[in-house]
Amino acid sequence: MAATTINRALDFVREAVAEASALWWGFFDWLALVEWRQLYVTWFLVLVFGVFFQLTEPAIWFVLISFGVKVLAGGKRRAELTAKEESSKAKVATLERRLMEAQMATLQAQVEPHFLFNTLALIGQLIETDPKEAARVHAHLIEYLRSSLPQMRANGGGMMGTLGKQVELSRAYLAIMQARMKERLAVRFEVPDFLGSAPFPPMMLQTLIENAIKHGLEPKVAGGTITVRGHVNEATLHVDVCDDGIGIDLHADEGVGLANIRERLALLYGKDAELVIELPPGGGACASIRLPYRMTEFD
Amino acid sequence: MALTALIADDEAPLREQLRTRLLEAWPELRIVAEASNGAEAVALANQHHPDIVFLDIRMPGMGGIDAARQLYDRCHIVFATAYDQYALDAFEQGAIDYLLKPVTPARLQTTCERLRKRLAGVQPAPQDIGAQLAELGALLKGSGVGAKPNYLRWIQAQVGGSLRMVSTREILFFQADDKYTCVQTATTQLLIRKTLKELADELDPDEFWRIHRSTLVRVDAIEEVTRDARGRQMVRLRGFAELLEVSRNHGYLFQQM
Repeated sequence: MAATTINRALDFVREAVAEASALWWGFFDWLALVEWRQLYVTWFLVLVFGVFFQLTEPAIWFVLISFGVKVLAGGKRRAELTAKEESSKAKVATLERRLMEAQMATLQAQVEPHFLFNTLALIGQLIETDPKEAARVHAHLIEYLRSSLPQMRANGGGMMGTLGKQVELSRAYLAIMQARMKERLAVRFEVPDFLGSAPFPPMMLQTLIENAIKHGLEPKVAGGTITVRGHVNEATLHVDVCDDGIGIDLHADEGVGLANIRERLALLYGKDAELVIELPPGGGACASIRLPYRMTEFD
Repeated sequence: MALTALIADDEAPLREQLRTRLLEAWPELRIVAEASNGAEAVALANQHHPDIVFLDIRMPGMGGIDAARQLYDRCHIVFATAYDQYALDAFEQGAIDYLLKPVTPARLQTTCERLRKRLAGVQPAPQDIGAQLAELGALLKGSGVGAKPNYLRWIQAQVGGSLRMVSTREILFFQADDKYTCVQTATTQLLIRKTLKELADELDPDEFWRIHRSTLVRVDAIEEVTRDARGRQMVRLRGFAELLEVSRNHGYLFQQM
């Protein structure tokens, strides 16, 4: 019997202490974060209250203690609280980033059905008229699909590959397009071998090349040339895709492809990478991906 | 007199394919010309007066639909396409003849059968082809959804010796700066000669809002709108530290819903 009474009393004391400490820390946090201006107003009210109810002494104590606490511990506590907030913000940012990565993975490769069906139609025809050429286009198509279908990509559509790999993919794609467009499409690659091992995100070069063909060269009756150029300027890797097609319609939306590249660059490199679109004086259009390049990278 | 046909496709191997298949399916049909784009098809059709014109839908310059709109009252049109979701849906509903590439002999046989009957006058030619073509053309140009009028989607800025193209989707805001206008993106700042007034007239009013006499902001880039100590509305943009002021007479833009 006595034991339960003591236990009950102990529980009550424990609760009261917990409550008081929560109140004290709540007050402490408020004090640490409150603006000085607001604090002056509070003091003034407390003093008026104290004088009115004959409690001047406690009121003065309150002012003195809160002043002391604010001056001595306020800064540290405030820093602690902001740090806590920052770290939870950072956690949210990490989650957002993961979500973005997942979204990007689904967005980054979209094999255009139109391209696929046209190429298959071409292969079907070539089997009858030029089986050797059919086999060649067929092999290029397999190579293209292997690296552009997300589910076929090694490491589940990872965030980074090499520039060399991307150039290979683009060569396969352009070889198919040349078989289809014949003399209407000329291709030039100016990517030095040493850049082959440079890290480069997948499917960006491919998107630029598809854009150049679709919007620049296919609508042009005479066709033209696509030039893929890679070079290092100071510590920046430039990968350019230029065409001498019909240029850019100022009233046409840029499309998901370019917006997607820009978002992925921002995600991977922040403000250190950019996608630059220019109209060269000679006509056509140039798209350039620029990202940080480090000399000592071996992957 | 033998019936005549014209084939238009920008890809030579596919022209050849259709030609050989037609030869098997309809040996009496004489193919009088081949074209590699829409304009060529129209010119050659004017010259040879074929009874049937086979048209690829996607061709450089003038496409198949536009060519058909100039030819449908003089000859029978058959479209050929490899893949075009919108076009296929429209064909299924309408009465225009079409072939799917790669062309299979069986399918071509059916099409030829129908063409023979129509040309012999046994079966009437489809009605309202002109209207159907106009619809189809609009469908393909706007890719079917939300084809907006001609708003400016790219801003041109002279940077050094080259002409930089900035997509409106990349822009955070425009700010009037003396005779120039400053274009702010997440990574750079550029100056252009167009005035804010000109830009406001040319840009999509749903994409950019005027929040101040000298500021035009992209709606999608807005993260939040707050009030500062003086009670002014301030706009915070995604990924941009500086706040932009909303002038009093534009405050209605951000009234509580």
